[in-house]
Parts: sequence; C-alpha cells; structure tokens
Amino acid sequence: MKNWIQAFSVIDFISVGILLTAVAMNALKRLESCVRVYTLNSWLLSLLTAIVAFMIGEAHLYVAAILTFMTKGILLPVFLRRIVRQIKLTHDVEPYINNALSLTISGILVGVVYASLREGIFVTGFSRNVLQISIAVILIGLFIMITRRKALTQVIGLLFMENGLFLAGFSLTFGMPLIVELGVLFDMLMGVIILGIFTIQIKRAFTSSDLDKLTILKG
Amino acid sequence: MIEILLIPVVTAGICYILPNTRLIGYVSAAGTVVLSVLSIPTIISAISSPIEMLKGMLYMDALSGYIMGLVIFLGLASAVYSIGYLEHELKSGLTDITWIRRYYALLHLFIFTMLLVTVANNLAVMWIAIEATTIVSAMLIGFGFRKRALAIEAAWKYIILCTVGITFALLGVFITYYASAAVTGTEGVLNWTALRGIAGRLNPSTMKLAFIFILVGYGTKAGLAPVHNWLPDAHSEAPSPISALLSGILLNTAFYGIMRFVSIVEPSTGSGFTGNLLILFGLVSIGISSIFILVQDNYKRLLAYSSIEHMGIISLGVGIGGPVGIYGALLHTLNHAVSKPLMFFASGKIQSHYGSTRIENVSGVLSSMPLLGTLTFIGTLSLAGTPPFNIFISEFTILKAGVDKGMWLVTGLFLLFAVIVFYGILSGFGKMLFQSAKEQNIASPETIKGNPFPLDFSSSGLPGLLSNAVMLLMAFIIIIFGFTVPDFIDSTIKNCINILGVK
Repeated sequence: MKNWIQAFSVIDFISVGILLTAVAMNALKRLESCVRVYTLNSWLLSLLTAIVAFMIGEAHLYVAAILTFMTKGILLPVFLRRIVRQIKLTHDVEPYINNALSLTISGILVGVVYASLREGIFVTGFSRNVLQISIAVILIGLFIMITRRKALTQVIGLLFMENGLFLAGFSLTFGMPLIVELGVLFDMLMGVIILGIFTIQIKRAFTSSDLDKLTILKG
Repeated sequence: MIEILLIPVVTAGICYILPNTRLIGYVSAAGTVVLSVLSIPTIISAISSPIEMLKGMLYMDALSGYIMGLVIFLGLASAVYSIGYLEHELKSGLTDITWIRRYYALLHLFIFTMLLVTVANNLAVMWIAIEATTIVSAMLIGFGFRKRALAIEAAWKYIILCTVGITFALLGVFITYYASAAVTGTEGVLNWTALRGIAGRLNPSTMKLAFIFILVGYGTKAGLAPVHNWLPDAHSEAPSPISALLSGILLNTAFYGIMRFVSIVEPSTGSGFTGNLLILFGLVSIGISSIFILVQDNYKRLLAYSSIEHMGIISLGVGIGGPVGIYGALLHTLNHAVSKPLMFFASGKIQSHYGSTRIENVSGVLSSMPLLGTLTFIGTLSLAGTPPFNIFISEFTILKAGVDKGMWLVTGLFLLFAVIVFYGILSGFGKMLFQSAKEQNIASPETIKGNPFPLDFSSSGLPGLLSNAVMLLMAFIIIIFGFTVPDFIDSTIKNCINILGVK
C-alpha cells in the first residue's frame, strides 16, 4: 500500500486537486457552488492528512485529519449553506473583474509562487510540490477576498486562505502539536460563526450583502 | 495563575444570567476588583522570578506581569465606567437588557483572552489567544448593532482585516516551528522559554522570513501603518469603554507578541534586521497618523489616529533598541495605556452631552462642565506630549536613545511628526474646550425634551461618581508619572529589559 502511494504519487495528485478547487473559485458565479467547492477542498485536505498519517504512522495526524474533516468538511459547509439560504441570495456573485481575467491572474500567481520557491530555504519531508501549492492557495484565497463583492464570498476566500495555511504548516512540519491544531480550528469556527452573524446583519442594515455599501467610514 | 484566568470567565457567566441592568454593572465591577486584588501577589512574584505552570504551557515573567497589570487595571476602569455608560444608553433607547447582558459577558471574556495572551508560553497558543481577542472584541464593536449600521461596517472591516493579517502571523509561527525542528533534530519546539535557549542556533534566513510574517500579522492587530485601516473605524464606532480597552491595551497585547518574537529572532539575525524593520514601521505609522490627525474633524477618530501614532512611537523605541530605547518603549506603553483611555472616557461623556462626535458641534466644554473639561485638558496635554506630563517623559527617553545611537534622520523625522501631532491634537481639542459655547449646543433644560441624549450622566448618582473617580485616578497617574517614575515600575521595566536579553 505504501509503495502504491508513492508509485502513483498520490500526494501530489491530491494537492493538485486542492489547487484546482481553489482556482475553480474564480470561475464560479453561484454562491452555493462556491460553498460546494470549498467543501471539496476541505475533503481533499483531510484526505491528504490521512494518507500522510498512514505513510509515516503518526497517530496524532489521524486525529488531525478527522478533526479537519468534521469541522471544515461538514460543520462549516452546513453552516455556510444555511446562511446562503437565510440571506436568500443564490444568484451571481458579480466579481469586480470578469472570470476570464481572474482565472488568468490566479494562473500567474501559481507561476510566480513556483518560480520564487523553486530553490527555497525549505527542505520539506514528503513532497516538493505541496509547499508551493499551499502558498498558491493562500494567495488565491486573498485574491478572491479582494475581488469579490459579497460578504459571504469574502468569508469563503478567508477559509481558502486558512486551508492553504494548514497545508503549508503540514508540509513544513508534518503538522503542529494537537493542542495547537485544536485551538486554531476552534478559533476559526468561532470566527466564521461571527462573520456569518455579521453577514446577516449587513443584509438587514444595508438591505444588501454587497460590501460596496460599506463605504461610509473614511479618513 | 489559573485563578486569574478563571475569574473573568466566571464573572462573564454570572453577568449573563442576572436580571437587572444596574445589578449586572455592579457585579461586573466587583468581578474586576476581585481580579485586581487576587492578581497582585502573583504579579509581584512573577516580576522577581518567572513562574511556569501546566508543563510549561503557561509562563509568567516580568514582561507578562507588566502587561497583565495594565490589562487588569484597564479592565477595572472600563468595567466601572461601563455602569453609567450603559445606563445612559439604555435610557436613550439605544440598547436593551439582552444586549447589556451580552455586553458584560463579552467584556469579561475580552479581558480573559487578553490575560491569556500575556501568560501563553507556547507561541501558537499566544496566536490562538490573539485571534480570540479579535473575535470577542468584534462582537463588542458591533454592540447593539441592530440599530447602528456604521458599527456593523466597522466591525466587519475589523474582523476581516485582522483575521487576514493574523493568518500571516500563523504562517510565521509555523516557519519558526520548522526552524526549531532543524536545530533540535526531532520535534520542533514552540515554547518561548525553549526557543530562547536555542535562539542563537536558528537558521537566520528562515527566522528573517518568519519575523516578516509575524511583524505584518501582529502589526495589523497592533495598528501599525500601513496595515492600520481597520483601527480608526473600530475605535470611533465602538462604545467608549470598549474604545478605551482597544486603544489602551489590545494594541499592546498584539505588540507584546512582536516583542516576544524580537527576542528570539535577534540572536540569530543580529539586531540590525529586526530593529530597522521596527523603526521603518514606527516612522511610517507616526507620519501617516500625524497627517490624519491634522485634518480630522471627528474627535473620536482623532483619538484613534493618535493611537496609531503612539503605537508607532513604541515600535520606534523597540526598534532603536538598547536598554534606553526599550525602557522608553515600555514606559510609553504604560503612559499611553493611561492617557488614551482617559480621553476615550471623557469623549464618551462629551458625546452623550452634545450628541455629536464632530469637533465643530462641540464647544465650551470647560465652561459648561468644569470637572470633565479639566480632565480632558490634562489628557489632551499628555497625549500631545507636553511637559511636564507622562508621555513627554517616555517620548524624550526614546528620543535620547536615538540620539545616543546617532540616528539623526530617524530622530529628526520623529521630532517633525511629533510637532505636527502636537499642533493637531491641541487645535482639535482646544476648540472643543475653550471656544465660547454656542447657544444651540448646550443641553439646557429646555432642549432636553427633544434631545435624544438626556443630560450628561457624569453627575448622576453612584455610577457617575464612580466613573469620575476612575478618571480622576487616571489624571493623577498622568501627573505623577510626569515628575517621577515610581520605584516599583522602574525596577519592573528593568527586569523586563533583562528578560528580553537586551544589552
């Protein structure tokens, strides 16, 4: 089994899947599909963790994989979908720049990351590609946050950033101590819940969840 | 040490279930009094020798004790001030009992998360605590958000910008963990005490990268320009007691994270790298905020920009480094943590009296409310850096450190910006204090009926007396520290300098 994993470079395969789901965010218009793509991204992340746990036989990585799956793969998507229904907004996401351009830009981002981290200072354990991919996912998440108008898409961009960050931490050090993973997940969960509450409040107070309306405070 | 962390949580729980507004207020104030009294022995023993607990997860030394003391003092001040403030908001119909319960519960949780930052030894746990302060305080900024769209806008900006910033800080923590694993050969370490032991052997270029991420991440939270954009909105839209906490201590807990990192990055990279970055961020913060202070027409935003300026000065002090620079920075932390909350408390009262946060709508504060006016005047002079008040002393110390090291350009720019700030703050608050009162602005008995803001709460009953007492105490500290730094503070700061390993 372990040989099988290495022969078919399953780890690279899955991490490319993580990258592609992040890139796909740029081409999506419906909020529900954004949530679905995020769910897929989280599932792939936990699968990758589980496979590495199997390869090196670390018990605490199994726990981390299960925790990631429970929170990012199940709890958060369910919560996000409820908010999508509550603000009754399923239609277009209306990015500031069109899909073709934003796809191109995220492609360029990936290229830049690969070029700049090729001979880096990091020697990572199990795959050369995972660190590059994780940094690319962080940048794409940031890019989504900058270019999208809806409050909820900003939250999803933030969540992509966090997934990329988890992947980065994972590829650098085979995961953090369990207490740290727990605390970070808990913080993230709380943060998203509060952002969700604020999303609904923004919709109520400004009668729209467009962040364009949030420009009163200046100077 | 555990009891110090538990008290705020218990108080939060009690506040959440009590039925009556005033009762909740007094219970919350009593909770902070108990916290202050019980924490004194722990802080004193931590200042003389470090304490470790829970297998080294929690750790307290002079620096933790120093910042913790400030958190507890400001928590007390803000809980006492909140009683009158919230009763006033309730009377004005801006909030209701459900929200008041949530407010007090969140206030104490906020204090708890800040205390956790100061005692966390594990750098990742410190990160978790700093992120938790963002989450809790975002709810406090949006307090009563059903009625105020602006507060939602401010809270949204705050939580999004700070979370993104702090995400980068976590990457910095990961990189540090990676660097330490390369040194120990097996598992990495994250405890500050352990990292300090191996700090000299960490890979310099890895640590440089880590420090850049940490500085940008925690710098966002500490309000350093150019990543400060959330700060003026959050500080001006939050309820006044919360603005006081945000400005007085929240920024400092984030900067405390940076200081802990400086002490483990410096041994491997040399002090030039971290120092220059901190000086750069500091000067940019002072410069940008000085311009915004000059053109500001909203006094709460003016105070917010002044916070950016003072965080910049603290960063400059740590950047210049050496015992004198660090001494100035730590002293400035305390001075700013006393002067700025006083001003936010005062501006809360001014806002409730005049019903506006614009400078042009406020005039004659000194003649219509002598006590409040005098306190505001003392605070203004202190913030502007006028001798003989406290902030002048610490700014002068930092300036002296710069001159000693021959950094003429840095000190020159600092002086120039300080002059601009001096003019901006004095002219803004000078207008409000001394300009003769315009008729329509005075809340005389006839105008109260139509005024959504009933007459100021500064003089009404016990809550008013208590909040005045707190403000008088702060003004007293401002004046005392202008003449002399008390011995126990002096020795505490010197212990902090030893702990940070500054030579």
